Amino acid sequence: MMTAAIKRGLQKGLSVTLVLARIVVPVYIMVTFLKYTPAMGFIARLFEPVMRLVGLPGEASIAIVLGYLTNLYAALGAIASLNLSAKETTIIALMLLISHAMPMETAVSLKTGVNGLVMLAIRTLLSVLAGVALSFAL
Amino acid sequence: MRGVINLDWSAFAVEAAGGSAKNVLIMASIIIPIMILLELAREKRILDHFSKKLAPALKVFGMSPEAAFPLLAGMVFGISYGAGVIIDSAKSGRVSWRDMFLVNVFLAICHAMIEDTALFLAVGADPLVIVVGRLGLAVVITYLVSRSKYFDRNNTGTIPKTTGKGL
Repeated sequence: MMTAAIKRGLQKGLSVTLVLARIVVPVYIMVTFLKYTPAMGFIARLFEPVMRLVGLPGEASIAIVLGYLTNLYAALGAIASLNLSAKETTIIALMLLISHAMPMETAVSLKTGVNGLVMLAIRTLLSVLAGVALSFAL
Repeated sequence: MRGVINLDWSAFAVEAAGGSAKNVLIMASIIIPIMILLELAREKRILDHFSKKLAPALKVFGMSPEAAFPLLAGMVFGISYGAGVIIDSAKSGRVSWRDMFLVNVFLAICHAMIEDTALFLAVGADPLVIVVGRLGLAVVITYLVSRSKYFDRNNTGTIPKTTGKGL
């Protein structure tokens, strides 16, 4: 029984890793590519004023947008490539953990009876507030 | 301005290949043991034990002790992984509609704590800050919703049918 559970865990772990790798690797490569082009500097300068509010550099906007609109795995791929500091990584982690995969999760929560759009608004607000709070607290 | 054509392709190739492989390996080395531990926890029915301990604390939200099990399942295993338990609790009638609603609110902010925390640990986030931060916010928001006037007019005690429009 124990060995069956360990085997199931191993299979589950490998399948999560596979799903993860299929998203993390291409995102990592694309973000790294951007870093080698002037596009990254442009994105960084464009979003710097907004991202400064939550204590993050402008280029972190890529990870935030990916996490909010697609999923956490894509955001992880971007974060891994961005060379953020420990503090910045913790800020972006909490922000994205509170609110992520918005289109998908809102669709799911509409089916559970919770008002998905209200929940979306609450989570997004909390996400930004948590970022602001951590940028001062850490 | 340096053009795309002139970028340092070899440095890019090394960083892209090496960095992505390294990060996937770090994530795998964390997520595979975690998944094995979660399966063992399920096998040993650890949730039964912890949900009994959690149950009294749910009085703060005016929730019945029966709601502890689906809440803990979602917190520990995640929404999709814990879905079986959550849907089963909702359908069985053991957990009231109000309690399921509050479980959903809590889990919207705070779910899959083990897996999510492990993945962000892999890229260098502080696990304590993200765990405490999420838990704290989920508790505050769930408390506020549990005290809101919303339930005065909607506490029907049954699970409403899915309308697709929310509430």
